[in-house]
This record gives sequence, structure tokens and C-alpha cells, in this order.
Amino acid sequence: MRRPGSGKDRLVVLASLGAGALLWELGTRRLSPAVAAPFSSTMSRLWEMTVSGELPTTLIGSLVLFAVGLGIAVVAALPLGLLLARLPAVRIALSDYIAIGNAMPMVALIPFILSLFGLDFGAKVLVVFLFAFFPVLYNTVEGARSIGPELVEVARSFRSSEWALFRDVLIPAAFPYAMTGVRQAIGRALVGMVAAEFFLSASGIGQLLLVSARNFDTAGLFAAVLVINILGVALMGLGRALHDRFPVWRGTGR
Amino acid sequence: MPAGLAAVPAASAPYRPLQKRLAASPLALKLAGGVFVLGAWEIVVRLTAPAYVAKPSRILVALPGVLASPPVLAAAGITLSAVAQGLFIALVAGVLVGLLVGSVPLAERALSLYVNGLYAMPMVAIVPLLTIWFGYTSAARLATIVFASFFPIAMNVADGARSVPREHLEVARAYRARPHQIWFGITLPSSLPYLIAGIRLAVGRALVGAVVAEFVISVDGLGFYILFQSRTFHHNEALVAVILLAFFAVVVDAGIDWIVRSRLRWYRAGEKTA
Repeated sequence: MRRPGSGKDRLVVLASLGAGALLWELGTRRLSPAVAAPFSSTMSRLWEMTVSGELPTTLIGSLVLFAVGLGIAVVAALPLGLLLARLPAVRIALSDYIAIGNAMPMVALIPFILSLFGLDFGAKVLVVFLFAFFPVLYNTVEGARSIGPELVEVARSFRSSEWALFRDVLIPAAFPYAMTGVRQAIGRALVGMVAAEFFLSASGIGQLLLVSARNFDTAGLFAAVLVINILGVALMGLGRALHDRFPVWRGTGR
Repeated sequence: MPAGLAAVPAASAPYRPLQKRLAASPLALKLAGGVFVLGAWEIVVRLTAPAYVAKPSRILVALPGVLASPPVLAAAGITLSAVAQGLFIALVAGVLVGLLVGSVPLAERALSLYVNGLYAMPMVAIVPLLTIWFGYTSAARLATIVFASFFPIAMNVADGARSVPREHLEVARAYRARPHQIWFGITLPSSLPYLIAGIRLAVGRALVGAVVAEFVISVDGLGFYILFQSRTFHHNEALVAVILLAFFAVVVDAGIDWIVRSRLRWYRAGEKTA
């Protein structure tokens, strides 16, 4: 992707945004407002929701859910992945099942979570956790797989302590992969957040989407979609920055 | 087992670490892993959860009946054909837009912002809007699938088109190749690895999109089957459907792998994932 670096590029981006807004405005003017709201009314609705405090409150509620779920997932998956790096036999035994967990469409499990754990905050955190846990674990284990066993053997034969082995061999090699996992987990946790807010008790930005769709408040719906889109872009940017800080080649991988 | 792994062996005997001996038979290891995972699941559910909660032994009992029952087969057929249709539309549209964005500088500047931006959006969020546009019908599901799978394909194809070696394009132009010849003769084949990586991402997202859409709009399909069965406390049956879904994801992935390995060996090196 081209980075908006120079002034000219920034100008093009601005022009493209302006053209998009103009097209949006002109294209929807003649449609019924229940089908598609023009740019201007979406913006005024957005402003209304921001000033009334509705939007900030829902956004904070959603972000807390996102952060708690993702945080627990990372804190749980990273050490587990590193532990598996140290125990190759266990890693081989479990890696296929971790890959299945990673490929699993987690939304399909939401009805089970609903009937087992109810629909309160804890259950929603569990949903976000499930979405985010496996990408981190899977990628950390991938990183662990890239560590040649001879590295560990050499370290052991030099009487490396367990702690030094982790600090100097395992963590540096697996960490960049783990960051790839965190990047993927950010995207999935965002999906999990919205899905949890849709299908468990409605709350946050998910509720805003559902309620405005039900009321045919298209301006409100567009505003909510826009907000979540900006949120997505910002979080993806964060994930990419995290990922780029730890390039894979830096480790001891092949 | 961990204790045995960590033990430093005595120096005398010819030393062959336990992990090496085990690693020599990964299949046995993997089976042991499976037994462990399923066993833990079974025991935890038996000890802590109410009787209706799914557990491996009951799933196994339910499996043949569910897989042979016409409603499940019909539901699977409906969902899968919707996914296939949606993927096809997304593939055609995504390849065209991706080629445009990746090889025409003006289009890149105008569109890449939107393609990248919409790619980052959780596609679940768009479902309420699609229910307004398409009603609570299967068309809304199809639209969700298309929306979910279009962006990974378009983005990856654009990346691929951008990475075409410049000399190839120059030679083609020197021989007065027409734009469509360049696009489909050079740019598309050379961005195939990216396209395949994009399709991989798209398949997973399409399945998720289909399930989410069925949850929201309650049209028949595997997702709705899961919802209905788990609401009526038939967790084992519902979980069979989940397994079926995951199975499709795995089969498609393996299929793509097989095609890549048997037909397209030449490009493995350039493959880009996620």
C-alpha cells in the first residue's frame, strides 16, 4: 500500500475523500431517506450523536469489551505458545488442533455461549476472547516451529539456564510471529466485538447499528457504520505498526 | 511427559532424547493430542456442565443421524451454494477492481483508500444495512457474502498487480500488446499467488458472513440450523453442524493447497499470506 507521505499524495487522498463524499451526496439525494441517507444528513446525525453523548458512551462500552477480550486472549496465548516452543513433543501433538481452532468460524459458537453463559459482559468477553485467542496461539506456535532444535540443544549443552534459554533463544525467535498473530487477532476481535453485541445482550456500537436499522434511521446507521469503519482502520494501522516493529527475519528462524 | 522431556540424561548411555523418539512418530503424537483434547472436553463437561451441553461421546452418537437427516443436508446445500455464488461474484468483481487499482495509477490513488478502508471494517457491521436494502431474504445473505469476500480478493490482486516486474510490462508494450492482453496475459498470471492468498482469506470470511447473516435474518441454512438447535438445547446436533462448517473450511483450504502444489509449483516462493 502506498503511504501518504508527500504533500501531493495527501492532496490526492483528500481529493479522493471529497469526491467520495460528493458522489455519496449526489447519488443518494433522490433516493428515499429510508433506503440511503445522503452524506450531509449522515454527518449532521453523527454530530448530533456525538454532542448528545450517545456515541462516546457506546463507543467506550464497545472498546472496553474489545480491549478486555483481546487483552485476556494475548496474555493467555503468548505464554502458552512459548511454552509449546519449549516442549516440541507437546507442540507436535497439539498443533493440528490449534490450526483447526484457528480455522474455526467462531461466530458459529455464539449460540452455545449464549445458552451456557448467558448474555452479560462476561459472556461477551468470552466471545471476543475466542475470536482473538487462536490467531495469537497459532502464530506463536508457528514461530516456535521455526526454531531449529539444534539451537536449544546447543544452548543446553552450554548449560544455559531455563530462563536464559527463553530470554535469548525462544522469545526472540517466536515473538515476531506472535505479533503477526496479534495483528490478525485485532481484526478478528473487532468482528467478535460486533457479533457479541449483536447476538448476546445488545450494547455498544452493535446495538446502535441494530436499533438504527430497525427504526429505518439510515442516517444513524450510516454514521455508526462510518464510525466502526474508522475504528477498524485505526486498529488495523495499530496492528500493522506492531507487526512492522518486529520483522520476522530478525529472529533465529530459517 | 513434561518431566521426562526436561530431564537431563545420564552421560553414559547412548543418548537419544525422548522428544526425538516421539518426534519420529508424529502420527502417534498427534493421535495422543487428539485423545487428550477430546478427553479433557468430555471430562470437563461431564463434571461441570448440565446434561444438554455437547460432549464428544454424545456428538459421536448424534453424528450419523444428523449427517443423514434431510434438513441438515438441505441446510448445508443452501449455505454452501450461497457461499459459492457469493465467492464467484466477489472473485470476478475483485479481480477486475484489483487489476484496475494495482495497474492504473490514477485508479489506485482514487480507490485504494476505499478498498483498504472497507477491508478493515468488520463485515458483521454491514448486515443491518443490508437487511434494509435487501429485506430479510436470502439476497441479504448473498450480499453479505459478497461484501465479506470481495475486499480480501481485490486487495490481494491489487498488491499482486503492483508487484509485476516492470520489464515484463515494458516488453509487452514495446510489442504493442493491447491493455486487455497485458492485464489477462501478464498481470493476472503474475499476481496469481496473491489472488490465491486472497481467495483463502475470502473463503473463511465468506463462511463467517453466511453464518452471521443467517443468525440475523433467520433464513434457512447451516447457521440458522445451529441457532435453532442450540436454542432448543440440542447442543450435540448443533455442534455437528459447526463441525460440518469447519470441515468445509478445512477442505477448501486443503484443496487450494493441493492445486498449488500440483499445478502451480513455480510460484510457491512468492506466496503472501494474510
